[in-house]
Amino acid sequence: MAKNRRMRPLSDSVLLEGRSLWSVNANPGVAIRGESLRKFRGVEHRRWDPNRSKLAAALLRTRNDPSDLLPQAGSTVLYLGAGHGTTISHLHDHLCGSGNQKSGRLIAVDLAPRCLRDLTYLAEQRPGLVPVLGDARKFETWGVLLPRKVNWLFQDVAQAGQVEIFTSAVRRFLSKDGIGLLSLKAASERHREASEPDVFAAAIAQLSQELELIEHINLTGFEDQHALFVVRRR
Amino acid sequence: MWLWYSWHSAAVVNEEGDVLDIESNDARFSVHAVKQRLQRIANGLLSPEAEILAERFPDAKPIVHGSEGLPEFDVPQPTEQQIGLADEASLLLAKEGVAISAADPDRRLEHLSRASEELRTLHLSMEAQLIEWVGLFLPSARFETNRGSVAGRLSEVASLTEFATALEVDDAHEQPTPSEWKALHGWAVMVANQRRQLDQLEHAIRVSAQAHLPSVSTLVGPLLAARLCVEAHGRSRLARLPSGTVQVLGAEKAFFNHLRNGSAPPKHGHIFMHPWISRSPRWIRGKIARMLASKISIAARIDAFGGTPMKQEDVDKVEAKVEAIRTEFSTPKRR
Repeated sequence: MAKNRRMRPLSDSVLLEGRSLWSVNANPGVAIRGESLRKFRGVEHRRWDPNRSKLAAALLRTRNDPSDLLPQAGSTVLYLGAGHGTTISHLHDHLCGSGNQKSGRLIAVDLAPRCLRDLTYLAEQRPGLVPVLGDARKFETWGVLLPRKVNWLFQDVAQAGQVEIFTSAVRRFLSKDGIGLLSLKAASERHREASEPDVFAAAIAQLSQELELIEHINLTGFEDQHALFVVRRR
Repeated sequence: MWLWYSWHSAAVVNEEGDVLDIESNDARFSVHAVKQRLQRIANGLLSPEAEILAERFPDAKPIVHGSEGLPEFDVPQPTEQQIGLADEASLLLAKEGVAISAADPDRRLEHLSRASEELRTLHLSMEAQLIEWVGLFLPSARFETNRGSVAGRLSEVASLTEFATALEVDDAHEQPTPSEWKALHGWAVMVANQRRQLDQLEHAIRVSAQAHLPSVSTLVGPLLAARLCVEAHGRSRLARLPSGTVQVLGAEKAFFNHLRNGSAPPKHGHIFMHPWISRSPRWIRGKIARMLASKISIAARIDAFGGTPMKQEDVDKVEAKVEAIRTEFSTPKRR
């Protein structure tokens, strides 16, 4: 075992060990996508792969305190563009824990039935995870699930107009001083002429109009043509 | 004045954020009842509480929870138990949505089409392997004219000698060992079965495409119709594409090369499959492709938006146009 590698807890259930991230497995014995399982001090952890999860990549890349990028354990959060649930599962480890002992609530919205097929399966094993089949833009169809504003919101939707979807979601559902994370895929914006830096610069300008931009994290290397923006609602 | 509503309660709020009236339902709902309420709201309908308030305040503008433009006010909160129910109901709704997605003919056609493409590629390479294999043992046999029947005939014989007799060629000088023959024969059986499987797949594609895209199928045949539909990611998207895109669907590589490097643009994508294009001389293929793509666009729009399906006489008119182009440009333009 790597005894001399630096271990640093980012939260009760997320651990940074050298350059790898681990989260306490809320569903012990089960790996979601073949990630490695390992015990630290007798507690089973799942490896959180930064090549598969943009949130993990951002946690490793950020120049600020990575624990500020995570929501408070036991809170309610909104995740738009849930995908097949890789990031969601680790977020659930952090937010809810086994049997939802921390009583967190993770609203995971995605448009694709194929993704929801995996998410509903995941949700059955992980109480606290609420999968929603719906369009991130059509908040009317799922917004009633969030009676209060949330303190943490993540968006990864890879469709044109990502920034508008994000700012609109922030206005509707993020509380004051809440943290919003936007994973932006440059290739999804329909600017054939615009280069990647231009797309990101335009996004920064648009975000800064109404939000406080805390950090622009470049994910090149983990996920090319992607950047993650961290904002705080004023 | 607004009528704010969520799945569990509703309130009437004025411009100052004062709550004028409130209808809350503290009943112990069943998961099923919550699911129905969530579904109503997703479909843009009012919750039962909101309907009561709408009668009392006909001037209040209904606005669902989460909308912008509402003044700050004390939003009625569901109980912990109600939140738990909403989460359960949401999971049920998601599962239902996933199950219903199998009804989408675009998705079904996509699987059929991808399966058939995959199998065709596999079949061709396995067949080539079989012919090379047999050719090693029977060097005097030629398979140029009857490639397709080799697998079927070989799968029905008991030995290579029998096959050589049937082909009327010299028997093998070197015989395969029994285990080798078993493997070779098994391979032939598999290739022959692939043929049947391919026919089944194509039959299924024809039937689905004729139901899903009747006009496009009548115009260019169900197999090409299915391909175009899958390439466009669905019927409604095919109907919304400009016909210039329909013309080069399936030739994306050449098209983006053209944009990037200025190489010659592609004149046809999948529609090249159609004999009007592939059996026409090279110099008019672009013209016919352009005309045919516009007709396919019209046909796709008829199918997607519920028009009167195209009939054979409509196809005849298009064919007449093809003939007109063929006669007008019977010789290549001199450069």
